[in-house]
Order: sequence, then structure tokens, then C-alpha cells
Amino acid sequence: MADNRDSRRKYLALQAVNPVDGSLCEVMISYDRMRAAGRRSMGHAKECGIIVPAILQHPTAVFEGLRQDEDEDRRGYGWRCYCGIPKHAYHSDGTARSPYPGQVYLVFVNDEHVAYNWRWKKAADDDPNLPVGHEARFRKRLL
Amino acid sequence: MSAIANDEFAKRMMLLAQPAEQFKPTATYDPDGDCIEFLAKPDAFFAERVDDLVTVYYSQETGEVIGSLIKDVSAFCRDMFERFPGFRIEIQAGRVSLQHIFLARLWTERFARDDLTTLTYRKLIEVSGETPIEGELSCV
Repeated sequence: MADNRDSRRKYLALQAVNPVDGSLCEVMISYDRMRAAGRRSMGHAKECGIIVPAILQHPTAVFEGLRQDEDEDRRGYGWRCYCGIPKHAYHSDGTARSPYPGQVYLVFVNDEHVAYNWRWKKAADDDPNLPVGHEARFRKRLL
Repeated sequence: MSAIANDEFAKRMMLLAQPAEQFKPTATYDPDGDCIEFLAKPDAFFAERVDDLVTVYYSQETGEVIGSLIKDVSAFCRDMFERFPGFRIEIQAGRVSLQHIFLARLWTERFARDDLTTLTYRKLIEVSGETPIEGELSCV
């Protein structure tokens, strides 16, 4: 992360699975990020409001260490990626549809337990629950 | 801080939601991820990694490029300041245009002219236009 967490930012806590022991833990999300998602469309608001908590609480896999190409990266231990396939995807007008075939939803969490990014990504050919390229992208699988 | 219930969180998000018709292209710096997220259309999207700096967003509806995520922004700016001190001139009051970041990357890497990465960066330069970045970069 660039600096210590900005104390002026405000956060909400969501429940999440702790992939180390299966217990429940808290993951934060900033109001600024929520506002940014809400401003985009109803569909983006629903991704944040419905899909993100679902993936954090019912992931099909959790990886740690967002590896960068040739670096021993600084986003190593503690930076996690929660993966899963939600019940629905959402059009920009907020209407629900079935999840996109061959895609998996990812929620990225930093080492201060803040969810800072989430999105659809193509799934691996050999496992529809995992993102394509996961072997190279992440340092280790926790769940 | 105790965790908020899922339905309460969803309700709060719905209160923040705006219809897609009111959408304006946005680029936002997020200090939690040290990243800049740019979106030119309100469509749902999927992401594909371009390189260690940029992940590009494609519309789920049309397949066209509609945005990007620029990762590890502080490290990129520091690297640029070291190699090209003049890059600092492009940053004013903690703000830099997306086009300058994409161009800087193109000018400092040995991508072939017709390389897919080059074409993706060119498309992003075209799509990002004059979209201002909200939020102050912490690297400057």
C-alpha cells in the first residue's frame, strides 16, 4: 500500500471467512469506494452491495500474495484475493441475470484487511472456480 | 468495529446508487489499493491483465475496452521520477492525467508498434480522453 491507511477515510466492516482457519473475520470497505461504485450504475452498486459480501463469506478459493512479474513484490503476505461465483450478475440497470459463463468473481483485500477492488475475470480452463493464470499470479492458495 | 449485516450493507449501497443514464467517465485514485480505476461506461465488465502496471476492463455487453486499473501507482511514479525527472512537470497539485501515465509507459517500454499491449495502451489513451483523476496521488 502506498502509505498507512488514511485516517480521514471512513470504513464499514463486512464479515468474511478467514481462510487460515475457517473462522469469521472482518474486512473493511471505504465509504469513498462505496460511493464511487454507486455513482457508476445500479448494476455496479449491486455488485458492491450484494456480490462482494457473498464472495467474502462464501469463497471457492482464497489466494495470498499478489505477485508481480519479476519482482519479489511488496504486495506479498497479507494481500489476498477471494474468488467465487455469485448467484447472479447484474446489468447496468440493476436487473439480475445468471453469472457470466466461464468467469469468476474476484475481491481483492489488502494487508490491512480493506477490500479495495472487485471484478469479473475469465476462469481457468481446468477449473471454473479459479481465475485464469492463478498459478502465476498468486504466491499461494490458502483455501 | 462490528461487521454490518449483509442486507443492511446492500441497503446502504442502494441508497448510493445512481441510474446508468447519469454516468460520467470517472478515474479514481484509491489509496487502499494504491491504484487508479478508470471507467468510461457504466456497463458491467470483466478484467484482463495487460502487464504489471495495467489491467484492462472489457464491457460484458459489447466486448469493447471501457476502462482500466493502474496498479502500484506510487512505485510507477517513483520510477518515472528517477528515470525522467521531467515527468514531475506533468503532475500538478497531486494530479496527473491518465493519458500521461499510459503514454509514459509506452515511451519507456520496448513494445513493438503492432504488439497487442501497444494497441491496448493506444486504445486506453483514446478512451480515457480528458477524464480527470479524483483523489490525490500519495507519491507526489
